[in-house]
Amino acid sequence: MDQEEIFLSVLEKHKGILYKVANSYCKDAEDRKDLIQEMVYQLWRSFDKYQEQYKYSTWIYRIAFNVSISFYRKENSRKIVSVPISNSLLNFSETSISEEEVPGLKLLQQFISELKELDRALMLLYLDEKSHKEIAEIMGLTETNIATKISRIKNNLKQRFLTIK
Amino acid sequence: MINLWKSYDKKLEDSLSINRKLSLEITKMKSYALLQSMKPIKIFTLFAGLVWVGLGGYIVVNLFRYAYADVSHFFLYSAAIQLVITAIALIIYIYQLVLIQQVDLSEPVLITQSRLSSLRSSTLWAARILFLQLPLWTTFYLSENLLQNGNTALLIINVILTLAFAFAGLWLFVNIKYENREKKWFKMIFQGKEWNPVIKSMELLRDIEEY
Repeated sequence: MDQEEIFLSVLEKHKGILYKVANSYCKDAEDRKDLIQEMVYQLWRSFDKYQEQYKYSTWIYRIAFNVSISFYRKENSRKIVSVPISNSLLNFSETSISEEEVPGLKLLQQFISELKELDRALMLLYLDEKSHKEIAEIMGLTETNIATKISRIKNNLKQRFLTIK
Repeated sequence: MINLWKSYDKKLEDSLSINRKLSLEITKMKSYALLQSMKPIKIFTLFAGLVWVGLGGYIVVNLFRYAYADVSHFFLYSAAIQLVITAIALIIYIYQLVLIQQVDLSEPVLITQSRLSSLRSSTLWAARILFLQLPLWTTFYLSENLLQNGNTALLIINVILTLAFAFAGLWLFVNIKYENREKKWFKMIFQGKEWNPVIKSMELLRDIEEY
């Protein structure tokens, strides 16, 4: 298998990470399309440097978060490949999830998007049930620090849910 | 919350699809040049700055070499210092842009973001240095003849203006920093979306320090 094929199969396997991260950091659908393209471009750029000591997911999360957090600070949100609005790199309709099917999801997504950028990353990793060790590798924090911070953010979110109810 | 997220994950797993053709197109892309990631107005400003320094530098050097005795020394030295200051600001700006481009995004989030934010927020340095030129705009038109035979009142006004501009330039050089971002004068200078990324980078840098 050539490099491109390996890359595409890794991408296929972890596409959910890209979507979830992009969706949490970018609400505008058109900008999100550019953000996902930028993520894939940066992943491809650093594919040669991928270190096998880490899982693919660790590497993907790092790049996805770094691109997303930096995205709005960029000089220009560039279009890597110009495509019609209907044609996205990842195709999924948020509206296909109804509130009846997954009650409370919209609210959770809203609360997450209101968190500070670094807290948001931690929360997404927690919700994806990543181990503290992997979260530490992705974020560059100690495991103890992560436990404390996640507990604080969780309490904060719980409070918000309680206030709504 | 985790169960809620799992249901979302399940939905994504079932319906999210990747566009292979588009992904493959991205893998065929050549590396992006620095200029391609910049807005046209910034490229133009950078280009205009380089032409200004290049052309100005050429003229001033030649005046120094071949017409030193014939031109006003006030003009010559003011222009030379102005060009040196602009050149320093441009070099810092370009150097930072290149460093930003080279940051490794596959490093842990806090390390990468800290590096990127420090680099972006330090673009304020270019603005700080440029303000040091202020007094030079009040001295370049002076001449030895004007000093000896000119109107004393006008000369006094000029000296006051030069001192005021020098003070303003130095004051801005010292005070343009993140701590003053909420001050009215700071917002006036750095208003507009061009500066938003720099200001936000400084805020993120604070968050990272708290982490």
